[in-house]
Amino acid sequence: MKSASKLLRVLAVLLSFVLVVSACGSDGDDGGSADGGSEDAGSDSGSDDAGSDDSGSDDSGSDDAGSDDAGSDDVELAQGGTLAAVQSAGTLQCGGNDTLPGFGIVDADGAFGGFDIDFCAVIAAGVLGDAAAFEVTPLVAAQRFPTLQSGEIDVLIRNTTWTASRDGAEQANFLHTTFYDGQGFMVRADSGIASLDDVSDASICVLTGTTTLLNLNAVLGDLGIPFTPVEFESNDELNPAFQAGQCEVWTSDASQLAAFAANMDIDTAILPEIISKEPLGPVVADGDTEWAQVVNWAVMATVQAWEWGIDSGNVDSFLSSEDSSILRFLGEPITDGDGNTAVAEVGLGLDPKFAYNIISQVGNYEEIFEANLGPIGLTLAGSPNDLWTNGGLQYVPPFR
Amino acid sequence: MINFLLLLLGLAAIGTAIYVVGRLIFDIFAMFRDRATRDDGDKAVLWRDVKAIGIVAQVAALLAIVGVGAFLWGNFRDRTDAIGLKLGFDFLDQPAGITIADNPLIAGDSVGTAIVAGFFNTIRIIMVGIPLALILGTLIGIARFSSNWIVRKLATGYVEFFRNIPPLVVIVFVWSAVFLNGFPTAQNAWKPLGEWFILSNNRFAIPSIMGQDNFGVFRWILLAALLLAAGVAYWRTKVFDNTGTPHHRVMWGLGTFFGIGLIAYLILGGPVSMSKPMLDDRGRVFSNGFRIQMPFAAITVALVIYTATHIAEIVRGSIMAVHKGQEEAANALALSTFQRYRFVVLPQAMRVAFPPLISQFLNFSKNSSLAIAIGAAETTNIINNLFGQSQPAPQLILILALLYLTLSLILSAVGNLINRRLQIVGR
Repeated sequence: MKSASKLLRVLAVLLSFVLVVSACGSDGDDGGSADGGSEDAGSDSGSDDAGSDDSGSDDSGSDDAGSDDAGSDDVELAQGGTLAAVQSAGTLQCGGNDTLPGFGIVDADGAFGGFDIDFCAVIAAGVLGDAAAFEVTPLVAAQRFPTLQSGEIDVLIRNTTWTASRDGAEQANFLHTTFYDGQGFMVRADSGIASLDDVSDASICVLTGTTTLLNLNAVLGDLGIPFTPVEFESNDELNPAFQAGQCEVWTSDASQLAAFAANMDIDTAILPEIISKEPLGPVVADGDTEWAQVVNWAVMATVQAWEWGIDSGNVDSFLSSEDSSILRFLGEPITDGDGNTAVAEVGLGLDPKFAYNIISQVGNYEEIFEANLGPIGLTLAGSPNDLWTNGGLQYVPPFR
Repeated sequence: MINFLLLLLGLAAIGTAIYVVGRLIFDIFAMFRDRATRDDGDKAVLWRDVKAIGIVAQVAALLAIVGVGAFLWGNFRDRTDAIGLKLGFDFLDQPAGITIADNPLIAGDSVGTAIVAGFFNTIRIIMVGIPLALILGTLIGIARFSSNWIVRKLATGYVEFFRNIPPLVVIVFVWSAVFLNGFPTAQNAWKPLGEWFILSNNRFAIPSIMGQDNFGVFRWILLAALLLAAGVAYWRTKVFDNTGTPHHRVMWGLGTFFGIGLIAYLILGGPVSMSKPMLDDRGRVFSNGFRIQMPFAAITVALVIYTATHIAEIVRGSIMAVHKGQEEAANALALSTFQRYRFVVLPQAMRVAFPPLISQFLNFSKNSSLAIAIGAAETTNIINNLFGQSQPAPQLILILALLYLTLSLILSAVGNLINRRLQIVGR
């Protein structure tokens, strides 16, 4: 009996401890809101931590050993995590689009295809040696960063524009630009709109959660052109709205407009103005440099192969190339002056033949471009996406 | 407003925690005090004491909840730390960079302002939609008892069809098939009745009332007339109660109101006039009249159609719950069908119907978030938009939940208040 009541007393003490802990948590809340202004009510311990991560000199990280330590611990934790996780899972989780012809769309059989989707295949081929070993999670524009942040997807390739605030506030890590785009405007051919000056007061269809929307508000606002925004979450609804004439103008990346115009029954015209730079490319979450490098080099291998004229049809003939750079790139043994042969190891944590796997299974950049974007009327030659040797912007660091 | 809601949430969480733990500790002390006052022979061994077992169960439940919560929070913090995501609510003061059609919001306005602007659009949908759904639902519910075979079957078909498809399908169907493709573009807008109405798949515009000279005075006179009309109606009710003469209070009240209004209108020399909606030659600028954007019309109509089916079922059920003798008594008194429903059946049925109706009103307000699919700039649309504009998703989701929670709590509080007045007061 006595021991039992003692037990209960211990339990009571434990409970009061719980009370104290929860009260401390609440005190922290109150203190935070007092320090940081009334806005912070609710989750101030969080904002304290985030603040110390940023400034590094903030002394408010009382519960952590130190803000800088905490930061580096986290980086170490994340280091190497994704590559190993993807390789052990055997499947790459790729965030993509399912409603954009040419870039990412689902065909009648439910299979994903497109320019962006092919780069998912490129990464899968590079990391896993199998271009089919990836799964696409279709995402609407507004959901892509939360999904990337949550770790649900390993890489986001969904016509996503590289901007400073996304690099910063969204904790995203933008990699090699796969497509240089710009924001344009599309109207019906018979609308009588010839340039941006004719757009005033018109209803303009635009996707929510995109840089397109911000550019539209900023540029037309600066120009003093009034307009009515009609904001859709998905092209599945925006497209019929434009075709039915709910809005006279559709603004998006010029490549997207071309892609949709190619599949429309009505005649359309693209206005001459391009109001922004829209570099589109793969994105990974911050905090895993190794994974970012792996994805980056897998993507860049397609451009390097294009530069050398290596494509999926002739890649095998290059295996016996005289050029040691190409042999190194394809992971073939190189013979030195003494007759010793060795496979060059670049230290990315990938199979030395990753570039060969990519080119043989998917193709080089030009092949991917022509297969997906050629049918919707985009030309590679002379565009910003041409190779740097042809006056374009596609330039990659050397494979050494 | 958002900051205030967040503060309330924080206080509620702290308050709940203190209450739960405090109550538990009080229970423990009460148990020991109780045991101390009993004789040894009178009390069970501790592990067979019902109170002790109850307390242990409570502690276990509490620890489980705290444990699961801590696990989830730890998971969340691991992830946010790994990618360096910022917590806190400073972003509410950042410029949002978004605009809303027919709204004074400019691109430089803050995130908080943009969210509130979206929230008011949600409230507009609800304020218009819920009364319409209630009226339509009640009529359909009654129609299911119609002696007319066609009316009865049509009502049944309507209810069974729309009740059994997801609201999103109804919304997209109404938007696409009826509004988007059923109406001409603004450039070719349909202008029936001498251009007093402008109907297009961009916006609808109908006539409204516009103030002229002396409008301020006229408004006060109308208010006074309204009060007087209420007084007259009350007086007629009293007369009816005392003498049994038919009260005709609605006629008397309306007569008073419109009589005074007409006289004042003539004396003040036309203080109000009709405002005719206008559309410029390019078919872009709507002005005057009352204007509504097509997506808002579509979501309101679609949700009214959908919710009315559920309300009709509730009304039908509660009419069936009214004792058959009541209806027979009304028939015996030779009341007309309208009188039978208005004075005998519906007052009793509504008493039964009201609690489930409240939950339908809540469903309506929550389903309004589906407007995101068709481009109506309400709360969910704005918040979802902000995700994509480099604003932090976890905090925005919390705010989104809080806004709908607030809305639902207010709606159900009002509903419960009305419900309490409807119930028979027990003696």
